[in-house]
Amino acid sequence: MTKHGLRFLAGPLGVLTALVLVLAGCGTDSGGSNGGSASTIQIWEGWTGAEAKTFTHLVTEYQAQHPGVKVSSLYVNNDNTLQKVLTAVRGGSPPDIAYLYGSWAPNVAQIPQVVNLTKVVQRPGVNWNDFWVGERDVATVNGKVIGIPALVDNLAVVYNKTLFAQAHLTPPGPDWTWSDFVADAKKLTDPASKQFGTAYVTPASEDSVWHWEALLWEAGGQLLTADNKKAAFDSAAGLQSLNTLRTMAVTDKSMYLDPTDSAYANLFNSGKIGMLVTGPWDLSGFPNVHYGVQVMPSFPGSSAGHQTISGPDNWVVFNNGAARVSASEKFILWLTAPAQVKYWSLHTGDLPTRQSVGNAAGFNAQMDSTLPGVSAFVANLANVKQARPQIPTYPKISTVLANMVISVLLGKSQPQAALSSAAQQVNQILSAG
Amino acid sequence: MAVPDALLRPGRPRRPGPVGRGIRPSGGGAARRRVVASEQFAGWAFVTPGVVIILLFGAVPIVWSALMSFQRSNLLSPSTPFVGLKNYRQMVHDPVVGQAIQHTLVYTVLFVPGTMIVGLFLAVAMNRKIRFINFYRTAAYATMAISTISEAIVFIWLFDPSYGIVNYALSRVGVPPQQFLNSPSEALYVIVAMTIWGWTGFAVVIYLAALQGVPQMLMEAAAIDGAGHWQTFRRVVLPLLSPASLFLAVWLTINALQLFDEVYLSTQGGPLNATTVLVYYLYDQAFQNFNFGYASAIAYFLFLIILVVTAIQFRVGRRFTHYRS
Repeated sequence: MTKHGLRFLAGPLGVLTALVLVLAGCGTDSGGSNGGSASTIQIWEGWTGAEAKTFTHLVTEYQAQHPGVKVSSLYVNNDNTLQKVLTAVRGGSPPDIAYLYGSWAPNVAQIPQVVNLTKVVQRPGVNWNDFWVGERDVATVNGKVIGIPALVDNLAVVYNKTLFAQAHLTPPGPDWTWSDFVADAKKLTDPASKQFGTAYVTPASEDSVWHWEALLWEAGGQLLTADNKKAAFDSAAGLQSLNTLRTMAVTDKSMYLDPTDSAYANLFNSGKIGMLVTGPWDLSGFPNVHYGVQVMPSFPGSSAGHQTISGPDNWVVFNNGAARVSASEKFILWLTAPAQVKYWSLHTGDLPTRQSVGNAAGFNAQMDSTLPGVSAFVANLANVKQARPQIPTYPKISTVLANMVISVLLGKSQPQAALSSAAQQVNQILSAG
Repeated sequence: MAVPDALLRPGRPRRPGPVGRGIRPSGGGAARRRVVASEQFAGWAFVTPGVVIILLFGAVPIVWSALMSFQRSNLLSPSTPFVGLKNYRQMVHDPVVGQAIQHTLVYTVLFVPGTMIVGLFLAVAMNRKIRFINFYRTAAYATMAISTISEAIVFIWLFDPSYGIVNYALSRVGVPPQQFLNSPSEALYVIVAMTIWGWTGFAVVIYLAALQGVPQMLMEAAAIDGAGHWQTFRRVVLPLLSPASLFLAVWLTINALQLFDEVYLSTQGGPLNATTVLVYYLYDQAFQNFNFGYASAIAYFLFLIILVVTAIQFRVGRRFTHYRS
């Protein structure tokens, strides 16, 4: 039996050994070609449609200008890039450059293979301060620059001009307030025709949170204390912001609540929603309605004025040896230089990541011909005055805040009780680190 | 009409005895062993790629996540200190884990019998020779072929509080509109409905196959003994379906305890954690909060639950399951 047993195993063991050798061989081989030449840059991006086309065009142009350099790009769904980067880092073969969400920045900064770009952005000609302050804040973690701004957006109010005219309402002006917004939303609501004044997205995620954060800032509030050690949103401003949302969602029932984070756009495009607080990415989904764009309203009596929140994303460079790092830095600085930023915006409708491009004469008119109304979002970049706290525990805090906002919108808790309970939980998270 | 004696006494048919076993050619030992060895080699050569892939993508992650459940790991920074049972202890004090367990169990208790009952009903209805029967069978199974994402989108619209057809139908019979996915007390039940619909096709196929295996002579015998339709179904068909029922109960339970897709696509665990089930919470901890150590501990806890539940099911199931042979 034993003798037979051993012989019985000899076959599989032999095959296994052979296979392991083959697999190992594959591994070394591809690793070798990855690490070998500096002239090939691996870039992971998630562009589709017009953006993908424009990106390919720019890459081709760069390769033509820099013979011997090959930029090899790989499509990765943006939502999953960090997951995949983590796996690749563990396997010792990260991409040279990856497109990563700005909200991940504090966590990305903990990856040892991420290249510190602090000195790189100070090089002559880069003109770091030309990037919007909201972008620079998100690309910087504890004073260290970990990425170059890749995309920027912000929130403004998109409204249906036809519905405003039908309700005999004056369209929102640049000086409008949240009182105007609430009143308009109420008048635009008609239960009989299932028409809502406005909408709010309520998935249990950051999307429910950042819409509210803009209101908090406009009311003059802050999320955390300046040292990021304690919650600061349990304040008069916090209460005012939540009360405003509650009036629409609970009292007036003028707010359509969308837990799916997608239905609202179809409803707006079907003329069922009067006003949306949303970003430029939604504009191309509204071909059926006649819409206008206005800055977010301010709170009457608040000195904070009109503000908005921005969700910039970054190009992050990973260390695959000095030669490839240097090649990657050169490419990414070229890609985010003013000429390319301008080309990108005009061909995709994305907001310009640089102020010099956004402020150039005639640029806004050109943008509007690409995507009607987008120039208002470009102008609104000037209203990005602060960024979310850049701390690794932000995702946990975000979960608490999402539940706070949603519980108020669903009428499950009173604003003050929700604020106090959330502040207590956030303080616990912050003290635990 | 004379009925053959055998039909009236449907005893166990005797299985034919093993044929050809135990008949070995005498002698030729060494040559024979060589043949056996080379056959074994060929056999292993065929299965080895599969074995390697399973080891690589199955066994390695299982061992690694077990290790990770005793570490503080965010997969970002290389420092992964061992923290002993801290992740497991944290679960005890985490109120969301308690909620997630509760939601997972409520979901399982509703989903598994629900799917089996609906599946059995449809299978019985379709186990007959009527016109277009193949169309009906295909239609029932189509729910399995439809991707979860399409299913979720359709259900989100059906159950939309303002524009959904379900609220419209309710209003026609005088029921006030419900909030469904927007309501912490209703969202989980919408997900139960969604997944029952999605899995019914699977239950139908299993039950239909089992129903076709019910010997006609037993039905006739019951009829002759004076049993009505319901009695025949209750006393003859149902016991004969018990192996299929046990299989479905175990299989659906394992799947129910691992519910994720529908939650991710429709509510992302909300509103107010009302649909946070264990696997969704685990995903949230791992990929949103980067607590990979904690998420691994939750995964092992879930594994334990599945192990215990399945063991109980087999125990209890054995008592109620009738195998014919």
